[in-house]
Amino acid sequence: MKIGVMISDIMRSLFRRPVTEKYPFERRAAPQRLRGHLIWNQEKCSGCGMCSKDCPAQAIELITLDKANKRFVLRYHIDRCAFCAQCVQSCRFKCLQMSNNDWELAALKKEPFTISYGREEDIAALVGKLIPADAVTPEKA
Amino acid sequence: MNAIGMLTNLLFFPAGLFVLVTGLAYEWVDRKLVARFQNRLGPRWFQPLADMVKLLSKEEVIPEGLDVRLFVALPVVALAGALTAALYVPLVGLNPAHSFPGDLIVTLYLLSLLTMCIGLAGANTRDRFSLIGATRTLTQLFSYEAPFLLALLGPAIVVGSWQIREVTAYANQHWLILTQPVGFVIALIGLMGKLELPPFDAPEAETEIVAGALTEYSGRGLALFRLGKGVELVIGLTLVAAFFLGGVANPVAFFIKTLALLLIIAGLQSLFARLRIDQAVGLWWRYGALLALVQLLVLIILRFWGWNGGL
Amino acid sequence: MQKNDQADKFIIPIGPQHPALKEPGHFEFTVDGEIVTGATIRLGYVHRGIEKATESRTWVQNLYLLERVCGICSHIHATAYCLGVERLAGLSVPPRAQAIRELVVELERIHSHMLWLGVAAHEAGFDTLFMYSWRDRETVMDILEGLTGNRVHYSANILGGVKIDVDAEQTKTILQGVDFLEKRTHHYLDVVTTDSAFVQRTAGIAVMSKAVAEHFGAVGPTARASGVTQDIRIDAPYLAYEDFPVEIVLDTAGDLKARFVVRVQELFQSYQVIRAILDKLPAGELAVTMPRRIKENETISRVEAPRGELFYYLKSNGTDKPERIKIRTPSICNFGTVPALAAGHQLADMPMILAGIDPCFSCNDRMVTIHRPADDSQTWTWEMLRQYGISYYREKER
Repeated sequence: MKIGVMISDIMRSLFRRPVTEKYPFERRAAPQRLRGHLIWNQEKCSGCGMCSKDCPAQAIELITLDKANKRFVLRYHIDRCAFCAQCVQSCRFKCLQMSNNDWELAALKKEPFTISYGREEDIAALVGKLIPADAVTPEKA
Repeated sequence: MNAIGMLTNLLFFPAGLFVLVTGLAYEWVDRKLVARFQNRLGPRWFQPLADMVKLLSKEEVIPEGLDVRLFVALPVVALAGALTAALYVPLVGLNPAHSFPGDLIVTLYLLSLLTMCIGLAGANTRDRFSLIGATRTLTQLFSYEAPFLLALLGPAIVVGSWQIREVTAYANQHWLILTQPVGFVIALIGLMGKLELPPFDAPEAETEIVAGALTEYSGRGLALFRLGKGVELVIGLTLVAAFFLGGVANPVAFFIKTLALLLIIAGLQSLFARLRIDQAVGLWWRYGALLALVQLLVLIILRFWGWNGGL
Repeated sequence: MQKNDQADKFIIPIGPQHPALKEPGHFEFTVDGEIVTGATIRLGYVHRGIEKATESRTWVQNLYLLERVCGICSHIHATAYCLGVERLAGLSVPPRAQAIRELVVELERIHSHMLWLGVAAHEAGFDTLFMYSWRDRETVMDILEGLTGNRVHYSANILGGVKIDVDAEQTKTILQGVDFLEKRTHHYLDVVTTDSAFVQRTAGIAVMSKAVAEHFGAVGPTARASGVTQDIRIDAPYLAYEDFPVEIVLDTAGDLKARFVVRVQELFQSYQVIRAILDKLPAGELAVTMPRRIKENETISRVEAPRGELFYYLKSNGTDKPERIKIRTPSICNFGTVPALAAGHQLADMPMILAGIDPCFSCNDRMVTIHRPADDSQTWTWEMLRQYGISYYREKER
């Protein structure tokens, strides 16, 4: 039996910098494989819809305007997303990936949590029909 | 002393505002040191003050089924007791504001008043955590009080006076820690027991009984109790430093010595697992009281033979 | 779980909201002064209906739902499910995928046991050990994040294999982390076995004999600390445990200290297995294609979660959705021991006795069903429930 076995730890810590990270003042780089925000590359998409079918959280809506001309709009609901990356696995054409640096996704309003990917004219065509007029935050794919 | 002087003494210095602020500052130092010992960052300097402001501005919920007058009065009495005790100790190395023969005993009792009030406050409510906490608080009071008192009586016996001013005047010339190391250790650990700091925090063990006796207190009452504890920390450190560490003759010595003691206390806080209440009582009576008593007897006998107490 | 009806007994309630357990569970300790004379447990505050929810989701979607049964042992749930589904579909998973799964399982076990060490130390009022063990736990959390992409829900599995691969750089980081953790674990073993202040809170407390452990059906480290030789990794090897085996860690003392020792010693087993896997990682594919529909069949899947045996029952019906999934979590087996051990101990020991079984409250996804008094049916209409409630409270008031 010993008394105060952790004394070496506490004495060492007294003269050492605390390990607490001073987030958000100091940031560490996110790991390479971090699963953040979903990114859609429209060029390769065939519109098969496996991503939205396999999504366990109904976070992906793939709206087909014209399949032959590859006119699709992908609506991504970040607030529903579980960041499991099943969609990335399910996509046969590798047009989905998860960002490894865009992970600070908090917002004060609900609107930024829905992102519409696609050509601007396609999104514009959907506004007022499938997409509520106030919920458009177009983003370049 | 005239009335204005007394009022100033009570409200600003040495009791009152000054000791309240010092109490908060020392609480911060304690929390920061414990955090650093645990390799954490710890709170920022204004955290205890911010806590106080928050608590004071909060609604005070008075639970049903208790004596409301007692519930409201106890925190005030506790803080008043602690502040009154501040009048008799040599804060910042200055002479005590008031002094009379036997004030050492009065001060120690005033310090116990806070613990008594906490115990009563717990017993006053019908909350089960509070009742258990109150039982533990009072049990612990009865266990550490005797050794703590005996340890602080050591220097008094050597000086032959129960007046804090005279004891400190003597202690300024002598490092009594050298002749009474046992008394020093017991006084320091007794202070931790008094303040219910880990590992003697069974009375307020959050994982068992939430906040112990103070579970039902919120807002103003809790703020006053916490201020009282801060004041008691400063007074306790001052007494131990003044009696055992060669006195606190000037502000520099005061701060260096009390903060050094605080460093030791913070280290001890981080080093041990919480003692169960039976283990704490056993420790105090089996070792603390016995050792303090033996030392006191040795001192009395040596003094009887004409030893002056110094080296 | 005995029930105390006497009103003059002094009962200390702990939970569902209490600082001792930041999780919902209700415990009532009847005390005589500081001595506990009886205990009752009420669980099921976290009924989320996951088992039922699986029936309306596809096999693929369920993987992520079941991974979220628990936040601490998420990967083991997904692995148990995957192993079951792959057996249902008659799939053979590539050895590299199995080895990587085992690697993540063991990393997860390290994180879970270190988390437990901190929680248990906190319950004992030893916050320094709590802070240090959680500080060092960050190492394994960082490893897991770097390896899989997330700190908690790793999502390393897919049906038929794994998503992630281990490259040379990953191997290096993992080995470095494991070396550091092993050094620290030796230190923590030293602390929990020799620190007198801590040992006097754990040694001889809540002694559970082998017979009692077997009687209550205790599992995992809790049972192994009482000398029960039961570890699914050894009894029925799954994943790659045949190629990369672990040794069983036993203690016969059965007290809280033994549970500390067993869990800390298991960390060394995990380090050894991780090194072995990284040393001889089989080459090959990461995954095979999984059919969407599974013909009618049923199977079970048993794995060793950090808290003990985790059991899955899976039934398919020929569609892309399961017919029935039943989960038996380890904590639910261990909870029964708490009331049995509590009596005679001090109130101060209760949080530690509770923490001693490593209770995971996500494991207690349970619901109470009431049989209708008249015809023993479990179906209740809204009106019937209402009437039942009214008469129940009337009865109680009288």
